[in-house]
Amino acid sequence: MGEFKVHRVRFFNYIPSGIRCVAYNNQSNRLAVSRTDGTVEIYNLSANYFQEKFFPGHESRATEALCWAKGQRLFSAGLNGEIIEYDLQALNIKYAVDAFGGPIWSMAVSPHGSQLLVGCEDGSVKLFQITPDKIQFERNFDRQKSRILSLSWHPSGTHVAAGSIDYISVFDVKSGSAVHKMLVDRQYMGVSKRKCIIWGVAFLSDGTVISVDSAGKVQFWDSATGTLVKNHLIANADVQSIAVSDQEDSFVVGTAEGTVFHFQLVSVTSNSSEKQWVRTKPFQHHTHDVRAVAHSPTALISGGTDTHLVIRPLMEKVEVKNYDAALRKITFPHRRLISCSKKRQLLLFQFTHHLELWRLGSTVATGKNGDTLPLSRDADHLLHLKTKGPENIICSCISPCGSWIAYSTTSRFFLYRLNYEHDNISLQRVSKMPAFLRSALQILFSEDSAKLFVASNQGSLHVIRLLEGSFKHLHTFQPQSGTVESMCLLAVSPDGNWLASSGTSAGVHVYNIKHLKLHCTVPSYNFPVTALAIAPNTNNLVIAHSDQQVFEYSIPDKQYTEWSRTIQKQGFHYLWLQRDTPITHISFHPKRPMHILLHDAYMFCIIDKSLPLPNDKTLLYNPLPPTNESDVIRRRTAHAFKISKIYKPLLFMDLLDERTLVAVERPLDDIIAQLPPPIKKKKFGT
Amino acid sequence: MVQLRPRASRIPASAMVEEGQPPSEEEEEAEHGLLLGQPSSGAAAEPLEEEDEEGDDEFDDEAPEELTFASAQAEAREEERRVRESVRRDKTLLKEKRKRREELFIEQKKRKLLPDNILEKLTTAGPTNIKKPPGKLKEANLQKKKEEYEKGSDSQNAKERVQKVQFVGQNKSYVALRLKDQDLRDARQQAAKAFIQNSLYGPGTNRTTINKFLSLENKRLPVKKAAAQFLNNAWGTQKKQNAKRFKRRWMVRKMKTSKK
Repeated sequence: MGEFKVHRVRFFNYIPSGIRCVAYNNQSNRLAVSRTDGTVEIYNLSANYFQEKFFPGHESRATEALCWAKGQRLFSAGLNGEIIEYDLQALNIKYAVDAFGGPIWSMAVSPHGSQLLVGCEDGSVKLFQITPDKIQFERNFDRQKSRILSLSWHPSGTHVAAGSIDYISVFDVKSGSAVHKMLVDRQYMGVSKRKCIIWGVAFLSDGTVISVDSAGKVQFWDSATGTLVKNHLIANADVQSIAVSDQEDSFVVGTAEGTVFHFQLVSVTSNSSEKQWVRTKPFQHHTHDVRAVAHSPTALISGGTDTHLVIRPLMEKVEVKNYDAALRKITFPHRRLISCSKKRQLLLFQFTHHLELWRLGSTVATGKNGDTLPLSRDADHLLHLKTKGPENIICSCISPCGSWIAYSTTSRFFLYRLNYEHDNISLQRVSKMPAFLRSALQILFSEDSAKLFVASNQGSLHVIRLLEGSFKHLHTFQPQSGTVESMCLLAVSPDGNWLASSGTSAGVHVYNIKHLKLHCTVPSYNFPVTALAIAPNTNNLVIAHSDQQVFEYSIPDKQYTEWSRTIQKQGFHYLWLQRDTPITHISFHPKRPMHILLHDAYMFCIIDKSLPLPNDKTLLYNPLPPTNESDVIRRRTAHAFKISKIYKPLLFMDLLDERTLVAVERPLDDIIAQLPPPIKKKKFGT
Repeated sequence: MVQLRPRASRIPASAMVEEGQPPSEEEEEAEHGLLLGQPSSGAAAEPLEEEDEEGDDEFDDEAPEELTFASAQAEAREEERRVRESVRRDKTLLKEKRKRREELFIEQKKRKLLPDNILEKLTTAGPTNIKKPPGKLKEANLQKKKEEYEKGSDSQNAKERVQKVQFVGQNKSYVALRLKDQDLRDARQQAAKAFIQNSLYGPGTNRTTINKFLSLENKRLPVKKAAAQFLNNAWGTQKKQNAKRFKRRWMVRKMKTSKK
């Protein structure tokens, strides 16, 4: 394997933003998640919970509600008073309609999927008609006194329940008038000065309205008479979200303490037909407020201020009890936020509104295996580049020689030239970037830093030649047929001849850069691509998919390599396939063509293609063999997958040169230390 | 006891009374006389007599003036008409003054506004609130210009934001911007954010710091540990930086002197 000096980097101050809304789409088994910085992410739950698409955020777009409409259309509404529709194919925003009611707090799609209801700050509930290409305002319901914080349709579409501050109204959709107004107690059997905020309502088909409020109560109301049926006090803090399953026999609520409760409709005695709602399971997977919950047919999904997305499959609903029924916690991003310049040992960190450029420290000491070497020169923060405007940065890259930095937002593309003199750097912006480069999904520089490859969200691929202070647009590869499945990934071969791009349903395309045409297409696979890389010399394209499969495709031969066929025939080790997090980066050793280095959030692995493959019976995670063990045993247990779990959680790992690795870690405690304050927990003895 | 004397005023008083409606000028005297006529005390009678005597002195030469009711009425009406006329004249003067000022203001305002034809176009176009995507090429140019303009204005005053009107006009040499009530919108958004902040993190919510939250476990362990964020790394950063710089300089100086 070899010995490496590892730069262990922990100064990437990455803080994900909290989750605000979650919406589950049953037909496509996809989850839309919106965060507090305005980003909307789409997770494909059937592709091993991989984040396949995302829409970059905007400072003014604080979403408060997210919902799916008929035909895979995604709508969101926020405090800027606009209803936004997202285009899932072109990966941009279709349009934004102002509702003219002030900030929008809640939104609900009718059960038929053709109407949209929006609850505003001024107390009005507005009805919109969803037409094939946009939405149209229909009418207002009766205006209420205070802001409408939650909405829910009756499954038949005739009535609507709206939760406000201190009361719940039930509207009749046809007339638009409030039929009932149910007053909610401020505190459970008591008096309180704080107003009771109804965070969530749900309307069941038998006319029951379930409300969750800031006093920690879950209440069942009868909408026909407008009276309280049952009262459950479940928490000392707010209960902030509610989601009902499609069959209406269970629902889930999330509290501000981080607990998620599961309520189920169970029969009173074992053979009676009378049923009642019982609180069955509490789950404590979060430390902070759970502001959004969703109920899929087999799982409970929750997300909140502590930035984790937790998917808890319900054991009674899952058919096959295998590793699929385990808890999934998505904390770290599924794409690369760090790029590396190997020649100058620079790292470029991408944040939402700025970029940071760091130079790695150096050491002259040597040591044995496992030693921590003292630094002779500390890591240096060279550059802090803030983006102009309110939009978030989508992607960024630094060239391998370290003299070009490029990043893109939704409306602009920025290219900078860096000059190094002695220990100082100076930055120069290349102005007048062409308009077709904006909203780029992926940026990549070629190995000799002479060419820039940009994948735009329209599907086209641009090749630009970089000259000394300016650029020249060489060519644009037009989008091929096929729908956009996931975000585009790019890989370029070190000799500069081949460019691979993924993201469409047609498979991975390989382009010949010298002749500027499409060379071949790797057959498509039903799981999205998570990482892509081209090996030096052999020009083998290594593709990692979200179901943890790794393929190797030879570009000159236009077919899968022998090794790839062997491992597909044998299959990967079952522990390899059960890993939670996707592989985000693949790299190669310049002198050892048989080695592939890849990593995910909790391990990094060097695949040695010359060694035998492990079968299900062998130990996958080999600890480092002690030196006094005999050679025979070592040879018997050696297999191709050398996995190390020393550095975790890993955000990025790469080979700098033959003897050096760089590993960027982000400990979870460092993220938690910078989150907003949680609810106080009183424990006995403290 | 005061002696009663026959008062001359009685007769003229009664004469006046008999006449019916006394003339206005002598009304007061008549009333005076009537009032004094009733009481039988003579003390009050004396000054009246004197007055009467004085008045009588004047009018002794002439006959008292006989004013008919009609003439008095006519005079009163004249008086009223005069008053009314003067009031009307004042009103009209005021009205004219106001009119003139209004016209002056309108003219000034007109001078400030854009020419009529552009205003017409703006009002007929109306504010469109559906922002189209910058997909089409023509509108892409427009969008870029609008963005550039907006960026320019943004850089000048970050707080002020302008609402754009959908482009009007055939020639694309300018972009029309209309200042809507963006301030009202911003104020509402701020109020909404403040409401959420207050209801989740405001007074009355039971919130604690991250340090205390994470240290709760450490307090209950059999061997009590320190808090999760025991060290405050942000303490004295300036001091630490100064110390580092001083150390570097001192080392260099030391090297120089030791070499010598």
